[in-house]
Amino acid sequence: MLEGRPAGAPRALPVPAARCCRAACLALLAFGASARAADWEASLDMRLLYSDAYRSFMDGGIGTTRFDRNDTGLRLGRARLAFSAPLGELWSMHFDASAWDDKDRSPVGVTEAYLQFRPYPFSGYRLRIKAGAFYPPVSLENRAAGWESPYTLSYSAINTWLGVEVRTLGVEAQLDWLGRRTGHSFDLSATGGAFGWNEGAGVVVASDGFMLHDRQTPVFGRVGQPGAALLNGVGPFLEFDGHVGAYAGLEARYLDRVVLRVLRYENRADPTVVDFVSGAIAWDTRFSSAGLRVESETGWTGIVQWLGGETAIAPGGQLSSWPFRAEFALLSKRFGRHTLSARYDHFRVDSNSPPPDFEPYGRQRGQAFTAAWLFEASSHWRFALEWLAVRSHSYNRPENLQGPPLATETQIQLAVRYALGSGL
Amino acid sequence: MRPPARVHRGVPGTRQLAAALLLAALTRVGPALAATLVISVQSPDGHALAGAVVTARPLDGPGKRPPPVRAIVDQVDRAFAPDLLVIPVGSTVEFPNSDSVSHQIYSFSPTKRFKLPLYRGKPYPPVQFDQAGVVTLGCNIHDDMLAYLVVTDAPYFGRTDKSGAWVAEVPRGRYRVSIWHPRMRDAETDLERELTVGDADHAVLTLHLAKALLPAPITYRPHSWDY
Repeated sequence: MLEGRPAGAPRALPVPAARCCRAACLALLAFGASARAADWEASLDMRLLYSDAYRSFMDGGIGTTRFDRNDTGLRLGRARLAFSAPLGELWSMHFDASAWDDKDRSPVGVTEAYLQFRPYPFSGYRLRIKAGAFYPPVSLENRAAGWESPYTLSYSAINTWLGVEVRTLGVEAQLDWLGRRTGHSFDLSATGGAFGWNEGAGVVVASDGFMLHDRQTPVFGRVGQPGAALLNGVGPFLEFDGHVGAYAGLEARYLDRVVLRVLRYENRADPTVVDFVSGAIAWDTRFSSAGLRVESETGWTGIVQWLGGETAIAPGGQLSSWPFRAEFALLSKRFGRHTLSARYDHFRVDSNSPPPDFEPYGRQRGQAFTAAWLFEASSHWRFALEWLAVRSHSYNRPENLQGPPLATETQIQLAVRYALGSGL
Repeated sequence: MRPPARVHRGVPGTRQLAAALLLAALTRVGPALAATLVISVQSPDGHALAGAVVTARPLDGPGKRPPPVRAIVDQVDRAFAPDLLVIPVGSTVEFPNSDSVSHQIYSFSPTKRFKLPLYRGKPYPPVQFDQAGVVTLGCNIHDDMLAYLVVTDAPYFGRTDKSGAWVAEVPRGRYRVSIWHPRMRDAETDLERELTVGDADHAVLTLHLAKALLPAPITYRPHSWDY
C-alpha cells in the first residue's frame, strides 16, 4: 500500500489515514476529470428528538438506540455528500461521505468509496465488479441513497449491525442472468466477494449486543470514544492476521416485485491473533442471512430477513464465542408521497465464556417495535416521524452500571432533511 | 390443455365498434376496394386491452411496404419515453437524454444489438433497425429502465386504443393478424388469426387472451432506490 515511499522513510500518517487520503485524492482527481458527467448529491438531516435510553454506544454505554436521554433536543441526523462519475464508458467511481457529529476520528467519514467495472450485458448475462469499500449485498431494507432505509429512520437490528461492523474492503464480482430481458419473468444473480480489514468485526455485537439506529461506521472509523467502556473506541476495520475474508450470495427476482436474497459471510479471521500495536483482538465472525422482499402495485411492501452467526476470539488459545441471531418483519404502505411503516425486530446474543468464570458476558435478548411516517414533500424536502421502543435483557447492562438487566428504551424522532443534487 | 383464444367474427355490436366504423366512414380516403378492418383485443376477463401491438399481413400478395420513419425514444425521469414503439423495418430511432443524469442504453436482442452511452447534453446519431422483431431496451446504469421496440415488416400495424380496438383501412382480401404485448403470457402463435375482408364495408375480429397479463411495473417507487 505504501509502495511509493522510499525504504526507511518515516510514515507521515498512520496507514488507514494515508489510505483514506490517497483514496480521497484519487476521488477528487477523478471527479475533476469528469465533473461534467458526474452525478452528485448533498443532504442535511436534522432531528428533534426525545429519548429515555441508556447511554449510547457512541459514549461508552450499551443503550440500544443511537441517541440517549442526554441527547433529547435538536441533533444532527446526518450530513451527506455523495458523487459518482463515469471513468470512460465501462468504469465508474462512487464516493459517499457523511458527518454524524459524534466525535469520530475525523468530522467527516467515508462510508463507501469504490470503483465499479460495468460492461454492457452480453446475450442476457452481465458482469459487475466492484473494488474498494462498500456494503455486501445483504440488506433488503437499506435500498435508498447512502444505504438508508426508505421506510424508517432507524434500521432494523440486522442492518444496524451490518452498518456498524460490516463493510467489504476488497473486491466483489456479480454475475447476473437478465431473464426479464430475454422473455422470462425473473432474473438471477450470483455474487462473490473477497475482503480484508475486518478483524474487528464482531466486537460490537459481542459487547453491546444488537442495537437499532442509523449510524454507519465510516471506513477506518471507530465505534465509541477511546477510554470509554465498553467499546473503548474500537475500529471494526482492522487488518493484522493476513487472512482474506470471503462471502457468496445468490439472488432471485420475480419481475420488479419480489426479491429473495441469501448470503454466507466469513471474515476468516484467526481468533488467536492479537495485534501488538493496538492490542486489538481478531474476531472470527461468520454469518448466514436470508431475506425476502415483496412489493405490490398498490403500494404495499413487506420485508422479512433473518441473520444468524457467531463471533469468536481465542487470545492465548482460550476460546470464547458469541452466537447471535436476529430477525425482523417490516410492513409498509405508500400513499402518494407518504409512507407508513411498522417493523418488529427480535434478536439474541448468547455467550459461551470459557472457565473459570462462565459469566455470560455479552448475553442479550431483545425485541423492538418501530413505527414511522415518512413524507417526501418534494425531491428536496423530506419529513419523518419515528417511534422506536426496544425491550431487552442484557447481562452487561448492570455491569456497565447503567441499569437493570431488563429495560425498555424509547426514542421518538422528528426529522427534516433537505437534499440537493444533479438528479434532484 | 390451455383454452384456445376465442375468435368472434361478425359484428359484436359494441359502442366502440360503432364509433370506429363512423370514424372510418368519415375519414375514408382509400381506394374503392378498401374496407375497414377492426381488431379488438380483450383480456381473459373480458376487459379491453389497450396498448397491444396489432399487425396485419395480406396473404394474397406481398402488400405494400410501409415507408421507414424517424422516431424518438427519449430518456425522461430515468425511464424510456415511450416505453413501447412500433416502427417499420428500416426506420431510425433517435435516443436523446432529457435527464440530468447519464444513461447507457443497450439491446442484446437478436433483432438489433447495440449500445449507446447517453451523457448529458451530447447528441448521438440515430440507430437504424433493419430487421423485423422485438428489441428489448435497457440501461446499463439504471436497471429498472425497460422498453420495447417492435420492428415490423407488416404493411398494416398499430396499437389498440383505450377501447381495446385498432382500426385500419385495408384492401379487400385475406389477412393474417397477430398481436403482441410486452406483458402477454400467451404464445404469439396462439393468437395469430386469418380472416377475410370480403364484400362488407368492414370486417371485425375480437381476440381474447387466454392468460392474464403479467403485472405492470411498479410506478410509485423512486428511481433512486435499488429496484
